[in-house]
Amino acid sequence: MEQEKTEVLKGTLDMLILKVVAFGPIHGYALSQRIQQISRDFFQVPEGSLYPALYRLEDGGWLQAKWEETETGREAKFYSLTRAGRKRLSTEMVNWERLSEAVALILRTVE
Amino acid sequence: MGWLRRLFHKSLTEKRMDAELRFHLEQRVRDYVASGMNQEEAQRRALLTFGGLEQVKQDCREARTENHVEDFLRDFQYALRSLAKDRRFALIAVLALALGIGATTVMFSVIYNIVFDPVPYRDFQRSVVFEMRDLTSTGDKGGRDHYTIPEFLAIREQNHVFEDIVGNYQLDILYADGKGTRRFLGGYATTNGFDFLGVPPILGRVFSPEDGRPGAPLVFMMNYRLWQTEFHGDPKILGANFFLNAKARTLIGIMPQRFNGYGSSLWLPLGLSPGSDGTSFPVKDPPIIWALARLKKGVSLQAAAADLDAIVHGLAQANPGELYPQQFKVVTRTLLDFVVGDFQNTLYALLAAVFLLLLIACGNVGNLLLARATVREREIAVRASLGASRGRLIRQLLVESFVLAAAACVAGCLFAYVGLKGLVAIIPPGPIPEETVIGLSPAVLLFALVIAVLTTLICGLAPALHAVRGNLQLRMTNSGKGAGGGSRHGRLRSGLVIAEVALSIMLLTGAGLMMRSFFTLTHVDLGFNPERMLYTRVAPAADGRYDTAVKKKLFFGQVLQRVKALPGVITATVSLSVPPLWGAGSFITVPGKTHSERWESMFDLCSDGYIQTLGLRLLRGRLLSETDIDSGRHVAVINQAFARAYFGSENPLGQKVKFNAFDEIPETPHDAYFEVVGIVTDFRNRGLIEPLSPEAFLPYSISGFGHRVILAKTAVDPKSLLPSVQREIWTVDSNAAVASSGSVKDLLAEESYARPQFGLIAIGAFAGVGLALVLIGIFSVMAYTVALQTHEIGVRMALGAQRGNVLTMVLWKGLRLISVGVLVGVLTSLGLTRFLASQLSGVSATDPLTFLAVVIVFLAVGLFASLLPASRAAGIDPLVALRYE
Repeated sequence: MEQEKTEVLKGTLDMLILKVVAFGPIHGYALSQRIQQISRDFFQVPEGSLYPALYRLEDGGWLQAKWEETETGREAKFYSLTRAGRKRLSTEMVNWERLSEAVALILRTVE
Repeated sequence: MGWLRRLFHKSLTEKRMDAELRFHLEQRVRDYVASGMNQEEAQRRALLTFGGLEQVKQDCREARTENHVEDFLRDFQYALRSLAKDRRFALIAVLALALGIGATTVMFSVIYNIVFDPVPYRDFQRSVVFEMRDLTSTGDKGGRDHYTIPEFLAIREQNHVFEDIVGNYQLDILYADGKGTRRFLGGYATTNGFDFLGVPPILGRVFSPEDGRPGAPLVFMMNYRLWQTEFHGDPKILGANFFLNAKARTLIGIMPQRFNGYGSSLWLPLGLSPGSDGTSFPVKDPPIIWALARLKKGVSLQAAAADLDAIVHGLAQANPGELYPQQFKVVTRTLLDFVVGDFQNTLYALLAAVFLLLLIACGNVGNLLLARATVREREIAVRASLGASRGRLIRQLLVESFVLAAAACVAGCLFAYVGLKGLVAIIPPGPIPEETVIGLSPAVLLFALVIAVLTTLICGLAPALHAVRGNLQLRMTNSGKGAGGGSRHGRLRSGLVIAEVALSIMLLTGAGLMMRSFFTLTHVDLGFNPERMLYTRVAPAADGRYDTAVKKKLFFGQVLQRVKALPGVITATVSLSVPPLWGAGSFITVPGKTHSERWESMFDLCSDGYIQTLGLRLLRGRLLSETDIDSGRHVAVINQAFARAYFGSENPLGQKVKFNAFDEIPETPHDAYFEVVGIVTDFRNRGLIEPLSPEAFLPYSISGFGHRVILAKTAVDPKSLLPSVQREIWTVDSNAAVASSGSVKDLLAEESYARPQFGLIAIGAFAGVGLALVLIGIFSVMAYTVALQTHEIGVRMALGAQRGNVLTMVLWKGLRLISVGVLVGVLTSLGLTRFLASQLSGVSATDPLTFLAVVIVFLAVGLFASLLPASRAAGIDPLVALRYE
């Protein structure tokens, strides 16, 4: 039943958070679940990294937060993207694509 | 400011964070339970996967801004530590900045106190004076700012622009206390005069409208200084009667120390109806008064001038005659402008100078910081690779400059405290209201603080931005003192030195020009020798016992005889004014001459010794003789300028001249023509700057009007003779008051030299400090460059370069820097010094000699500052230098 789970690659957590938040306002727990789900359980996001990252992104003005009720009627903190956050997401995505292409290229050549 | 609130409401933030994390845990437990775990097991697992709750919280806290404050404190400590490591740098930087901040603070507090808070009067910004300016006469001499009482009343009734208006005039008041007579400066002011200024008395009351009604009891007020010096601050004198100008008056009030309204020691109420009861003005010789008015709110100076212009032109049409110039307009000025006037320009010139100084200091410190940043490249690169963001690094470097600026601010305020005392001591007394208190005030200290913050940004930002520019990681691989880093910063550093030199050139040319101007001023050929010359102004007795020409002659004849007999006196004379500073003038009429413009001449009423006392030379004809004086003959000796201006190539001797003003003066021959009997050499009779004017010297015995002066040429220090002269005057009549006396030389210094001297000393001090800063600046840059190039020089020398080559190479480099700075500075100065023109006399604002001298000084300073680093470079041992690498 235990699967092998990888911690999110250093430096990409911010990008992943921004990407998931981009779909719509979401609270921290759901966010961690979504990352896990979307990556088909490949990534797991430990709380010890998730929350500091969220606070940092909020503080930096890339995320904004609002306390709202969930479907079950509980109060939770919902994060959404700011304009700056949207901008940062797109640049990080471009950078990531370039990086992964480059890495793939190298791996292929070495083969 | 949200972060600030969070800092102080930490508990709320903490609660929110708790709630969020708790929600997370609960959700996870719920999910576990949903997948079939029992409640207890689910909770245990959830906590386990969460990891250390406290650690997570701490990490979250650190991600937020409020920790920036803690970061800041850490930066602060770090800055202190790193500055303490490099104490010499810190000291030089703090000293340079402190000089800049201190000088700026001194100048600002002088300007703040003189321009913004000079007097304790109510609404003094809206207080104005106005004058009729004669449009036909050249310069701003023509016109008048005194008005007859009917004019004053008309202006008071008809104007639409004033809230209130005060009339006043000054007169001598002779106070007889039974033992002797003393003369004080008195002032008549309309009864609203004290409510107008809004300063309450410290004892008693101010004038009420009743005090100005005809037949009202006679009253007066006294200033603080007179109360202290003459009456030892005795409060019991309030309500006592005093004999002033031979009338008994009751003292009703004493004004506080910081009050010098209407510039008098005693104030009397001025009634505005004619009469002879002491409150009303005399019909026979009515005073002309000076007006001070307060504008209604929102009325501009121009609007007020236009309103008054219409009124005064109406008066001129209704009363044609000599009272009004042919063409004139009314000009309004603020009271401040009237009092401080041109001195403001001196102050603003000095303020500009200190800002230059501050910029030089900033440039200097900026340069030192840059040099430091270069040395610290490696440290910065390490910090960057350990995850410090650029913003973080910049902030840290800025905190460091701020620590420097803060220390400099404190030291600067200390400098300012001392400097201000020095400056106040040399500030000329004339242009500053007596009430002005110059000192460090909260506003001034706030200014110093703002300057310190600005300084931080100016001198810290560029080096900080520069330090973190480019690829920080890459620099790790350089040794940190390689040539690459050096040249990268090199251009900015050279730029700063060039800017410093240029700024300093501006300061020094300003100081140089003022020095030249001052030299010219003090070496103006007066046309007579003011050395060892004594003057004593004599105010005759109050009861009019010397008001006729005969009686005056009798009195002064006796005085003169006694003064001449004093041991130490060579010659003595009576005159109307003290040369070269003041004199009387009049329009003149010369029979048989037609001319479109009005002819003017100055005149003096003197005895036969005048020409000898001043040491003027007779050119033609003869001097005033004793018989001329004794019989009051209508003869005149004129100066060369007079002869040239009005007689040209004609022979002036035997011509007649009429002085039109005499027709208006009581006890003076009306419609009288004076025969020219002699011509003497010119002397400066309108001060040091104004061109000299035609002048005529007439026997003093023709007129009984006004006060006179005793002038004496002495063989000893003139001041030592003053008591004897005074004694002789009192021997003739103890009721005659000596008004003011001293040596002409001192008077000249006080009246003509004090102001330019103040400007010169102040700007000279600033320029000196600027030069010292530049010296430090060039030295530190050159020393640093040599340190960076040790390896290169070592290689050169190993390859056979001589010590002399190295020396010249370094010197040449220093000289090149300075030359560029000098060029920029000279060009800028050429454009800027014309703003200094108002402060200069006798020297052009682009005086080539001054510029040349400044350039030479700078090249010398530059060479001197480069010499030590250059000789150090030449002393490098190639073996050591190469091994060192």
